Amino acid sequence: MKRTGKLTSLMALSLLLAGAARAQSADPSGTATFVTTADPTFNPWSPNAFVESNLINELLFPGLTRWDKDLKPAPDLALSWKASADGLKWTFNLRKNVKWSDGQPLTADDVAFTFNDLVLKKELGANQGSTWRNAVTKVNVVNASTVEFILSRPWASLPTYLAYYAGILPKHSFAGVTDPWKFTAFNKQNPVSSGPFKVSQVVSGATVRMVRNENYWGGAPKLQGVTFKVVPDSNAQLAQLLSGDVDLIAIGNPETVDRVKSSPNLTLDIATSNIYYFVALNQDDPRFQDARVRQALLYAINRPAMISSVLKGYGQVATGPIAPIQKTYYNANVQQYPYDPAKAKALLAQAGWKPGPDGTLMKDGKPFVISMPTASYQQLVPISLLVQQYWKDIGVKADLKTMDWNSYIQQVIVKRDYQASAAWWSTPADPDVLPYYDSSAANVGNNIPNYKNPKLDALLENGRKAGSVLARRVVYNEAQALMAKELPYLYLWYPQSITAYNKRLQGMRGITQAADFQYANEWFVTK
Amino acid sequence: MLGFLVRRLGQGALVLVLISLITFFLINLAPGGPSAASRFETTAEERAALTKQLGLDQPLVSRYGQWAGGVVQGNFGVTLNGGQPIGPILRQRLGNTAQLGLSALLLSVVIGIPLGILTAMRRNSALDHVVNAITTLGMSIPDFWTGIMAILLFSVVWKVLPSSGLYDASAGFSVVGWLQHMILPAGVLAFVMLPNLVRFTRSSLLEVLGMDYLRTARAKGVTEPRVIRKHALRNALVPIIAMVGLILPALLSGSVIIESVFGLPGMGRLAVDAALGRDYNTIMAVTLVAGAVVIVTNLLVDLTYSFVDPRIRHD
Repeated sequence: MKRTGKLTSLMALSLLLAGAARAQSADPSGTATFVTTADPTFNPWSPNAFVESNLINELLFPGLTRWDKDLKPAPDLALSWKASADGLKWTFNLRKNVKWSDGQPLTADDVAFTFNDLVLKKELGANQGSTWRNAVTKVNVVNASTVEFILSRPWASLPTYLAYYAGILPKHSFAGVTDPWKFTAFNKQNPVSSGPFKVSQVVSGATVRMVRNENYWGGAPKLQGVTFKVVPDSNAQLAQLLSGDVDLIAIGNPETVDRVKSSPNLTLDIATSNIYYFVALNQDDPRFQDARVRQALLYAINRPAMISSVLKGYGQVATGPIAPIQKTYYNANVQQYPYDPAKAKALLAQAGWKPGPDGTLMKDGKPFVISMPTASYQQLVPISLLVQQYWKDIGVKADLKTMDWNSYIQQVIVKRDYQASAAWWSTPADPDVLPYYDSSAANVGNNIPNYKNPKLDALLENGRKAGSVLARRVVYNEAQALMAKELPYLYLWYPQSITAYNKRLQGMRGITQAADFQYANEWFVTK
Repeated sequence: MLGFLVRRLGQGALVLVLISLITFFLINLAPGGPSAASRFETTAEERAALTKQLGLDQPLVSRYGQWAGGVVQGNFGVTLNGGQPIGPILRQRLGNTAQLGLSALLLSVVIGIPLGILTAMRRNSALDHVVNAITTLGMSIPDFWTGIMAILLFSVVWKVLPSSGLYDASAGFSVVGWLQHMILPAGVLAFVMLPNLVRFTRSSLLEVLGMDYLRTARAKGVTEPRVIRKHALRNALVPIIAMVGLILPALLSGSVIIESVFGLPGMGRLAVDAALGRDYNTIMAVTLVAGAVVIVTNLLVDLTYSFVDPRIRHD
């Protein structure tokens, strides 16, 4: 007992000392510098806001919720929320006395405006608008600090989706604006915001400077300001991190990790995100409608070897769309596909594919040839080349066609003119993956392989209806088992996201990069 | 001379119309579409809404007519990926590229031409071989590699120069500050352009040095420096000016990589971003401005000929 007391005292003392050291070392006038790849659009709902804008918009426009350390929805602009018994009405109680950077109060009107006038307006084509319109009919203002989301179908993961790049915009700034996407005075120059920082200067193609938002509801941020430099080239980003001109970058090419490790001023944060890479097999092609063929094509791919070569080991074999980072819902006990070319060949033989004279598999006199468009974007080309090689080993010929990203989207996403293609999804850390698998999203939505399975549709719909965590777990465990067996996509891996940053930058929570940006008021730099 | 100018300007205008027609129809026929409507996660419903908003559901010919009508009135329209007026963006980007390109050109001319003369006069000497080796390096090494190496050396290792970005003159302009930001990108761009100029000057001068009239000048007792300056160089200058004229548009395209590596917002990056994002309006504006720069440069080069070589007349 005595010993325990001594230990407790020592721990308290060391915590106090650590706290004191931290307080001493934090620079009250400190600023941090980040990079982005292009001029951002200060509006998370704009169809022109891409990856270059995401983190910046996290700093400017908080949502009703944000991620907690377990990636569950935590209060942000909303303090609490509750669903009606039938799941068709969600009431959100907003934080009171929140102000915009121009001093105006942030109220329920702003929430209703953001959804009713931007997101849910079909003719505007807002970013991710279809996902919201799929379930939300309208947002009602109950009073200045209460809103109701009226749904057309239950959506248990609504609070989670509200944490995912779903920032609230100021109604008063948009008054009289006819086209919100062409409102460049806001979207490109000087937005009114409610996050910990506000934009102070934009030099197109060069920098976005932000300063502390003194009106931030969580109190003044510890950093005096944040600057984003526009640096499109990843090698130049790394050079700037090494020179100390930039404090944090995301490492896209794992081969550069060693360079970061060799610098004493830098440190790495390696985290798993809810991202999975896949090969989509177009289900409009009758050959891929046979599950045995899909399974065979996955057995033929040596995923651990690809993870070693393409990702330098920074990844994990994927079993489905719900990544292990979702500890509550991830189901590891599903059908596995270890590298097994013999089994792949046997399954294809069962499906009627027999080797032809040149070794290529044949069925009904036709060789197994797959057209496989890919894009010169990130690591898609090496991935496609390796898949092509593995499939060749079992007698399946993939014809690769490499194009630029924009043309690729036109061919694969818009026209669905492909038979197989490698890509990835980055989704909210939530088991609700309906927009990517539902039959109604085939050909027109995010269901890229055009996979249609009424059983999976029903399961995903039930997942949306399930109220409790336990009930959701049961449904999504079953959905994961079904997806692992049926393989709507050939799941490749969950990559780890690697962030390199200067040790002087501290106070980050280490959840995921996007989640950390929701707590930017806690960051500080040492003197 | 006036007739020549009018004729050339008329030809230039015609060339610009042709450039605009070819570019407009080619980019619109190319696969893909503006990024806003062609993002990976965009659904068919969102795409249809955005295509309508951007006016891309209109017939191609009428879209060209609308665009050309705007340009005639000095209006390049707005960017398709962001809705910003293109005119101010062009002005800003062209200014930055001009700073970079002209600095690099100045460095290339100030270093390249004297080096070319020196190596021609000391043909096969140790200096000639060293310069030859360096220029071969300059021609063979890709500019993005040179750029990254320059950043690593000057910014990471020696920490003497900023690694990237524009000079911020908001707190008052300083020549030293401007030079600090410009020397690396302009130096790297010059390093890439310089070898052509050195080699061209060298070979052009060597050709002239063997001419009879130089032998005559030397026989008359004219000193060697005067022979080079007054007789050889003047005659070798016409092709060198032509070379400089060719370098100037090349600087515009060469700046694409340099601007990306050094984070400089210039015309090169604007062009690449617009092309990748299928921002048709911006692509048209950049192409037209680049075309105009080439036409004006060629005209200036032709005019310079007559000043350097009185035998050349523009009637």
